[in-house]
Amino acid sequence: MTGLIKASVVLLPLAYLLVAIDYGALFFGGRSLRPGSASLGLRLALALHVAYLIALTLQSRQLPAATMSQALSFVAFSIVTVYAFVEWHSKESSTGFWMVSLGFVFSLLSSLMFGPEPTERVLFANPIFAIHVSLALMGYAAFAVAASYGFLFLRLYRELKAGRFSLFFGKLPPLEVLEKMMSGALLFGFVALTGAVVIGLGWAQDVDPNARITDPKIITTLATWLLYAAALLLRRLRRWQGREMAIASLAGLATILFSFFAVNLWFSDFHTFL
Amino acid sequence: MPADLQRDLPILLVGVDHRCAELELRERVSYDQAASEELLVRLIAKSEIKEALLLSTCNRTEIYLRPENEDTAFQLALDLVFLAKAPEISEEGRFYVKRGEEAARHLLSVAAGLESMVLGEPEILGQVKQAANMADALSSTGAVLRRLVRSAIAAGGRARRETAIAEGPVSFGYSAVELANNIFVELAGRSILMLGAGETATAVSRSLLERGATEIRVANRSAERARRFCEEFPEATSLPFEDRMDALIDADLVVAATSAPEAILTRDDLARAMHKRRNRPLLIVDLGVPRDVDPRAGELPNLFLHNVDSLNELIQHTLRKRKAAIPAVSRILDEEIERFGIWFGSLAAAPVVALLHRRAEQIRRQELASLRHRFPESLHEDLETLTKSIVRKVLHHPSSRLRETVDAENLEQLAAVRDLFQLDDEA
Repeated sequence: MTGLIKASVVLLPLAYLLVAIDYGALFFGGRSLRPGSASLGLRLALALHVAYLIALTLQSRQLPAATMSQALSFVAFSIVTVYAFVEWHSKESSTGFWMVSLGFVFSLLSSLMFGPEPTERVLFANPIFAIHVSLALMGYAAFAVAASYGFLFLRLYRELKAGRFSLFFGKLPPLEVLEKMMSGALLFGFVALTGAVVIGLGWAQDVDPNARITDPKIITTLATWLLYAAALLLRRLRRWQGREMAIASLAGLATILFSFFAVNLWFSDFHTFL
Repeated sequence: MPADLQRDLPILLVGVDHRCAELELRERVSYDQAASEELLVRLIAKSEIKEALLLSTCNRTEIYLRPENEDTAFQLALDLVFLAKAPEISEEGRFYVKRGEEAARHLLSVAAGLESMVLGEPEILGQVKQAANMADALSSTGAVLRRLVRSAIAAGGRARRETAIAEGPVSFGYSAVELANNIFVELAGRSILMLGAGETATAVSRSLLERGATEIRVANRSAERARRFCEEFPEATSLPFEDRMDALIDADLVVAATSAPEAILTRDDLARAMHKRRNRPLLIVDLGVPRDVDPRAGELPNLFLHNVDSLNELIQHTLRKRKAAIPAVSRILDEEIERFGIWFGSLAAAPVVALLHRRAEQIRRQELASLRHRFPESLHEDLETLTKSIVRKVLHHPSSRLRETVDAENLEQLAAVRDLFQLDDEA
């Protein structure tokens, strides 16, 4: 078990890097290193990641999100899983390079922060808490995917507006498809985050007597939730198109990263588990 | 068995293309189908020529020959194909001659689009196929040229599939399609508004319809011209020019190609339309000179305004990408030429005889293996000897004849043997 975990800490970022390079060859060069190798590599990397998360769970007998390293790994896994689903569903692999690269970054950060086995915490063994954290991490991952699609959307949008055509032109899906992928990821992330917020607000006191709604982490999370809610509402009312949604998704990701890192490190009160 | 193609390959090419002859001259030496057929029949009737293939397009006329006698075949080709129609072709630099591997590689390069006026243009591969079909129908090609054309078509197909040599648009019409494809999922079902019904609008409409557009509305100052436009394109409907503002509200793509002296769509017009559209994306391709659309409209969010300059930029971007693909295409040509060389090298009697014996031995063993159990073990050795003897005797005469009669000048027999006994699968 320990051997698998230690090996995965090195192998996972490496696997994602190799898969990202393969998708990069597909994106920039028009073909992957071998036909179908990128998708196959993605599945193998995901299988290794599943094994890693199961090993962590069995070893510490708690949700594998008890440390920053584990949480980042969970986010990386969720990002790549969401992308694998999108690729399978849309048969569209031209964004694989960007999504797997994002997964690689999170996986690398996770490995760099990997530390000794966390002490067993009662909180992390609580099923309600596990659902709360899992939903929050899945939501963050979906928002990261949405922001990536938002970035690609804005990039293509600007080229089309300016009439200056770079290496990207003609390689990405059309704006309509990018917008659809971005909106889908945003909606998924919003539903997951809503679930996490509802569970958190409803059961926080039961699970942790120190819980307070004035905690900076909760305030920034609620601000993030409001931002996404407003964006989705404006889209529903047909006032916002892809460009505005792309900007909102990038702003939302910035808020999440602030909440994830800055608030955790410097401001958080009771909410320090993530 | 690899051969020294430059030395051994009996192929001669005489040609004229856009690099060495201006359009007027190329027109005079071009051949339509009937004239091509007549010319091939005349050429192949000459004893100096064993095989002939004619490729005649708007940018080139090339005759590929497998000569019996190279010097006389060259003079015949020059006289019959070119000088009879345009004597000034004989001037220095007006035509080119290539031989052996150089000639073979040239045909592959033509099929891949490397020799075209517009790098990587797609029509040439179809034209090479048509030339091959015509030559086949007239039996003017034999083993060597037929195989060479197959290699050229394979190289052309691979170049287009495996590299960016044919990617992207190189005309205004396809540039509009390319821009639309980067915004919308597909052109089918999109509302296209054509402002103007002249030559440019017609050419762009053709490109759009070829790439899946299903609905075009045309608004033109002259109702008569709009009517003629609709006659040419059954998918098109016309509307009064004054109604163009209303049509903007549900249009996805607007192509403006009028000769109006000033803008027919102002920034304010388009701002109002975008508001009514709730900012839904709108692509406007302005092909008018002077421009039909106020350039300041390009500042409006979700409105993508392109004019002839930005379309030219897209075409240049495409050509840069295509040029970057040349080394990859050259590698494909190398591979296909190498394969062709291996095939050509195997057209010597010894390797074909060896393959023939190997094929017969393979069949003998298969049959023996399936029937051996029906005979007592004591007879197995006799069976082995008997079947070997039969195979040896059956093949003795054809093998001897092949060795005696076949040389580089008489390759059809070997090609026929390879084909009859499916020896290419063995090679």
